[in-house]
Amino acid sequence: MKHTLYQPVNARIVDIIDESPTIKSFVVVPETEFKFETGQFVELTLPGRGEAPFTPSSSPAMTEKMEISIMKAGRVTALLHECAPDTLVGIRGPYGRGYPVDDFAGKHVYIIGGGVGLAPIRSLFLTLVDRVGDFKSVVCRFGARSPQDFIYKKALFGPWRKLDGVDIELTVDQANGDWDGHVGVVTSILRPDDVDIADAVAVVCGPPIMMKFATKKLLEFGFPHDRIYLSMEKNMSCGFGKCGHCMLGKYYVCKDGPVFTYDQIETYPNIWD
Amino acid sequence: MKTVFTSDLTPVLDALAERMKLFVPRRGADHFVFKPYIPGDAGGDFNNIRTCTPAKEFLFPLRELTAVFPEPAQPPAAEPFAVFGLKDCDLRSIAVLDKVFLEDEFEDPFYAERRRHMFTVATDCCDPGESCFCNVLGGAGHPEGGFDLAVTKLKAGWVIEPGTPKGEAFLAGHGRLFAAASDAQLAERDTLRSRTREQLAAGNADIRFKADIGVIVQDRYESAVFDEQAATCVECQACTRVCPTCHCFYLHDEARTADFAKDRIWDSCMRLSYAAVAGGANPRKYLGDRLRHRMMHKFAYFLERYGVNMCVGCGRCVDAEAGGIDIRVILRRLNEEFTTPARTKVAK
Repeated sequence: MKHTLYQPVNARIVDIIDESPTIKSFVVVPETEFKFETGQFVELTLPGRGEAPFTPSSSPAMTEKMEISIMKAGRVTALLHECAPDTLVGIRGPYGRGYPVDDFAGKHVYIIGGGVGLAPIRSLFLTLVDRVGDFKSVVCRFGARSPQDFIYKKALFGPWRKLDGVDIELTVDQANGDWDGHVGVVTSILRPDDVDIADAVAVVCGPPIMMKFATKKLLEFGFPHDRIYLSMEKNMSCGFGKCGHCMLGKYYVCKDGPVFTYDQIETYPNIWD
Repeated sequence: MKTVFTSDLTPVLDALAERMKLFVPRRGADHFVFKPYIPGDAGGDFNNIRTCTPAKEFLFPLRELTAVFPEPAQPPAAEPFAVFGLKDCDLRSIAVLDKVFLEDEFEDPFYAERRRHMFTVATDCCDPGESCFCNVLGGAGHPEGGFDLAVTKLKAGWVIEPGTPKGEAFLAGHGRLFAAASDAQLAERDTLRSRTREQLAAGNADIRFKADIGVIVQDRYESAVFDEQAATCVECQACTRVCPTCHCFYLHDEARTADFAKDRIWDSCMRLSYAAVAGGANPRKYLGDRLRHRMMHKFAYFLERYGVNMCVGCGRCVDAEAGGIDIRVILRRLNEEFTTPARTKVAK
């Protein structure tokens, strides 16, 4: 009998990286090959304790291991934060539809992210820069609460910004230390001429409140509704559109998403709740 | 194979029970439940209407082991089983679950395994219950499809119609138990069925929808009816437990002596933290929001996705409600509020 839908693949945590006061990245090595597409998510099981959905932050091109950045936010994530390297975990998936990277070819890719939302974005970013010549530009506008709250600091403050075809600007809600960059919420650094809107797609991932206002701004700029890609955060459990927890109107976020274009969901009230 | 007649159902059920595990209805305090068949006991207590518990229990049990790790274990294979006394609403609820667990992009292996081994023996309803409103949702009070065998209780004897090759094979294999049904017996069946249809129509004469139910429910998304009707909800979740089409579940991880297990357990969208995410955000904090979601899912979202309503009008939720919430009242109130948009004049 086929029962892989529910059966996790065994995996080991081999490294844990402290990214910010509340976020750690877990480097996980699955026992058997585990492929995914950027933006898809996995269910990470802590054996006997519970499971939770995460979008890997590593590039799908790296197949021998996978990185998952996790914010301590609830019961399972708190337990994961207590784990040490060599812990046995399980991975189910990958589930859902990720970013349609091929559809982005020949266009400007305008990426707006905040907080732990940079995790799925990192995977997308690494995928895009692997073939950066396929895109007109990759323009990133990222925000964090404070400079310490940025994840992937080393890459973000250094090498990523030097890449050809890439334009990154950062902002923090509150500056401290030697931060000499922009201060303000991420929407305050979005400008209508960041990209040529007629020839661009936008990707938004972050806390719901940030996504709400970033989307509003993009609409003001005149972005077509079907070219705003949103990573929706819901309580995905089964991963294949049956258990019901992640319903958003008629959609199952786990199966029809987690990446949606705004026009798919705009008619549902309270999509940001 | 044609419809047959038998004067005694006992040998028929005994024959079924010889081949597979058989469940029959039994009368409880004020309702029926399915129990294992005792040979020689005919149809158990013949149920005039559906049982209290939903047929989904046979295909999608309350709790089920779905995975073992680190060393995966092969789940036990399902064995053939038969259920006698399923009603039209039960068959239609199984058709709804089939859409989700069988006909969807992802077939559920556990449901599929049981479904393939299930033999359905449906019976006609007679004297519908106070809460039965299947006729409002396309039900007939007698099985119209989705059965292996359909049985009608006549004044004297039983008429049995096969609905699938499986059902035909069973009748053919036990030909000595049956005679061809006579025209008079078939006419009696028609009369009984008409009587039930009339009873259902009379019982629900006060429900007259101004448009398709899905259109009405979706249109009234902002209605105060949901908060108003949820005011007496005590969050017992009985409505979703007894509902034959509700299929929400959660996955529960458990440490066992030597390994770990992942169980699938029924869940309920009426539960407060059902849709809450780890950070604490909850799209449906209030009971009214959750009741609205339940109604939207049943009458709008599911219809849009799968082409059928996710309510078969069995009325189980009405009977089970600790808070006295009545899905028929909600539908009626939304219908009252609904006004068809005024027609704009077409220019000549």
